[in-house]
Amino acid sequence: MHIPDGFLDPMVSAVTYVIMIIFCGYAFYKVKKEKLQDKMVLASVLAAGIFAAQMLNWPIPGGTSLHFVGGALAGIILGPWLGCIALFLVLFVQCLVFHDGGITALGANVFNMAIVDVIVGYVFYKIFPEKYKIFGAFLGGWLGITLAGIVCGIELGISSQFIFELPVTVSVMGGWHALLGTIEGIITAGVVAYIQKRAPHLIK
Amino acid sequence: MISKKAIILTFILVIISPIFGVILADMVGYHEPLDLAAESLGLEDISEEINWTPFFDYTVPGLPDVIGYIIAGFIGVFIVLGLGIGLSKIMGSK
Repeated sequence: MHIPDGFLDPMVSAVTYVIMIIFCGYAFYKVKKEKLQDKMVLASVLAAGIFAAQMLNWPIPGGTSLHFVGGALAGIILGPWLGCIALFLVLFVQCLVFHDGGITALGANVFNMAIVDVIVGYVFYKIFPEKYKIFGAFLGGWLGITLAGIVCGIELGISSQFIFELPVTVSVMGGWHALLGTIEGIITAGVVAYIQKRAPHLIK
Repeated sequence: MISKKAIILTFILVIISPIFGVILADMVGYHEPLDLAAESLGLEDISEEINWTPFFDYTVPGLPDVIGYIIAGFIGVFIVLGLGIGLSKIMGSK
């Protein structure tokens, strides 16, 4: 889902950069204000794990592929602010060191994967009662990636010279991610179930 | 304790990553939904033309793709960890 250079028009690029700066800036402010700095090491370890997990591309029979994104998982384990910072670290390093995701698209990629995916994961996990938290984690992982895909489709569609392309990009991105996102949901729920059992104090 | 396990798992993921990121991707052809959407719009990826990094697309100059992918993975993991821990110090973590 990493948008490369050349796909976004300057306006979409600029708007998403502004959103990234405001949201990530606010996330750093909240981490400091809520004295969450001591969880930054955990956030860094999770970010490193997500970076590695994103390198595993799974080819799907039929000609498409996916990789784990991990935004919802970060939101569930770390909360929205540290979760956002963890994914921002991953995307920042991927962009600058490996050119995976364009420099002109960093704002959009952060918006999709470090903001939308993280918040959806966090909200779905939170709203489910204790007994159904794992199901909430599954839904968070699945719908987080689906919504991130839809938002990515909108960014591509409105970057196009032809506005009628918008329904095409949104349906391609939303449809595929709704399908492939079930795997993200299963992995997210599996990791959350493991942590709940072995280290429940790590999940707020 | 869980952090130690997470780091070990991360290293294992990096070591096995070329199976999925290079070998299977080359065999089947990596094609994610974003590529499908871009094709429908006729968009052109200009990353290679404006590239600035020697580690473009998780490769290391002079090394075969599989080995380069693993080295690139470790480089990325250590930079992410270093940046995160550095930030935590700057922000006043004990």
